[in-house]
Amino acid sequence: MIEVNELTKKYGDVVAVDQVSFMVRPGIVTGFLGPNGAGKTTTMSAVLGLSRPTSGRVTVNGRRYVDSPAPIAEIGALLDAGAMDRGRTARDHLLAVGATVGVGPKRVDHLLELVGLAEVARRRAGSFSLGMGQRLGIATALLADPAVVMLDEPVNGLDPDGIVWMRTLLKDLAVEGRTVFLSSHLMSEVEHTADHLVVIGRGRILADASMADFIAQASGTKVRVVSPDATALRDVLTGPDVTIRATGPGRFEVEGVPSERIGELAAQGGLVLHQLVPVRVSLEQAFMELTRDAVQYGAMSDNETERAA
Amino acid sequence: MITATEATEDKTQPISPPRPDEASTARLTFAHVVRSEWIKLRTLRSTWISLASVLGVLIGFGLIAAAMAGGGETAGPGGPAPGSNDPVGTVLTGANLAVLVVGVVGAVIGAREFGSGQIRTTLAAIPSRLPVLWGKIIALCALLVPVTVCGVLVAFVAGMPILNAQGVTTVSWSDPGVARAVLGTAGYLVGIGLIGVALGVLIRGTAGAIGVLLGGVLILPGLATALLPDGWDVVLNLLPSNAAQAFTSRLPSPDLLGSGVGMTVFALWVAVALVAAAAALMVRDV
Repeated sequence: MIEVNELTKKYGDVVAVDQVSFMVRPGIVTGFLGPNGAGKTTTMSAVLGLSRPTSGRVTVNGRRYVDSPAPIAEIGALLDAGAMDRGRTARDHLLAVGATVGVGPKRVDHLLELVGLAEVARRRAGSFSLGMGQRLGIATALLADPAVVMLDEPVNGLDPDGIVWMRTLLKDLAVEGRTVFLSSHLMSEVEHTADHLVVIGRGRILADASMADFIAQASGTKVRVVSPDATALRDVLTGPDVTIRATGPGRFEVEGVPSERIGELAAQGGLVLHQLVPVRVSLEQAFMELTRDAVQYGAMSDNETERAA
Repeated sequence: MITATEATEDKTQPISPPRPDEASTARLTFAHVVRSEWIKLRTLRSTWISLASVLGVLIGFGLIAAAMAGGGETAGPGGPAPGSNDPVGTVLTGANLAVLVVGVVGAVIGAREFGSGQIRTTLAAIPSRLPVLWGKIIALCALLVPVTVCGVLVAFVAGMPILNAQGVTTVSWSDPGVARAVLGTAGYLVGIGLIGVALGVLIRGTAGAIGVLLGGVLILPGLATALLPDGWDVVLNLLPSNAAQAFTSRLPSPDLLGSGVGMTVFALWVAVALVAAAAALMVRDV
């Protein structure tokens, strides 16, 4: 469990994270989404105490991370994949990090197996591809069997095989009851992995909702209808708050009438329906919709920022 | 690579078991931090290369200087080189070069993690931060103390018979100031290594830390002595290298500090550097 409370981080005059509050719960995968520069890494750094908050408080499993008796058993973190010395072998890197809480060679070798690096364990990390570096980062994160796993852009540089592997691993970790928190700017990846979303833009939380709710909210009430009786059906549906847009012969999209109601009205009128589909946007579309005004480096005025927040 | 395809099969393995006995009792302790820093230090090839060169420079240059001392004394037209009139100074000639190497070793140990990004992993594992600096220092001293002590002792023990064979006056270990100068030289080298670590942590860049260290320790005192009037000697004597000369020479120039005061002043320089590094490590974001 990670609790972030009114976290603010300023770099000089630049507010990187502004009064951010959210909670990451155990047993599910929580995705942390935001455009580049939105404050994802800053927030994660603050959770680990790597950067000191300007104000606000972060607790991990109920206490400040710095007070943890065994930090890497509390949170296993994958920061940028480069956060390791390239001159050291994969195995030595894990031994050095594990030693801080007394984790020994047996566990290190198990993790090298788990992430698929056993055969290159004695090669220097500098010779690793980006994907292998990510796997070593995952092994580092899982060293002390942590209750919370926090990963910054974990699928960066992974090949398709590695992406599937990562997705399965993260879900398994959540099923085991762990708290899994991952940041990404890759929507499709998060869509396949996360159960819950925290969306950040320009340092502020834009959304904190379950994946299903988030998509449903962004999708609105648009319903796609295909019917040989399209004209008659449109007349039945027409009302003050209803928008109907023809999309082709015998097809149209309705906004303002739930799909259940459309089905009932069609039945009452004896009208044939071929398709009745609530239109759901992808996470990417929902995200773009939400953050359109909040992209850090887009050209925008301050007024627009206020509105986005 | 090969591993990418294999990894997908491994996903059937549970993540937790075999839960090692030590993981369930996982604890961050200072002993664990020291052990972690020790593993980091010994698993870098550069550590062993530079320590071997410290040893090689101390012994090698000492013996070469001893072997050349006899000829130099009669043939040198420009008079004897500084220190060559003192047999201890002659056999410890290598220290002048070794000090550069230990300075670089220290600076690399202090700065390297900031360059690679490893520092983020390290401080995430040890969020209290300060133990990391002490751990690095203990790990470094565990290697540097034996290496420098061994280096100066071998240079002394092997160098004196060579000087004797050249017909140069020698001293024995029990003569006044000899043990202090020989072991003091080892202490000076360790101290410079520690200042290097501190500068590495402060400056967070290997090149910058080495530059400041070499400039401050080697170039500045010489330059200042040449440029400043005599009245400044009191101040110049307090510089780390001049303070060190007061206890690393068998017969220090009377212009310098007393050897005990010199030792104290040099130790204070080391302490100030480490305290500044500790403060920077605690305060800064990484």
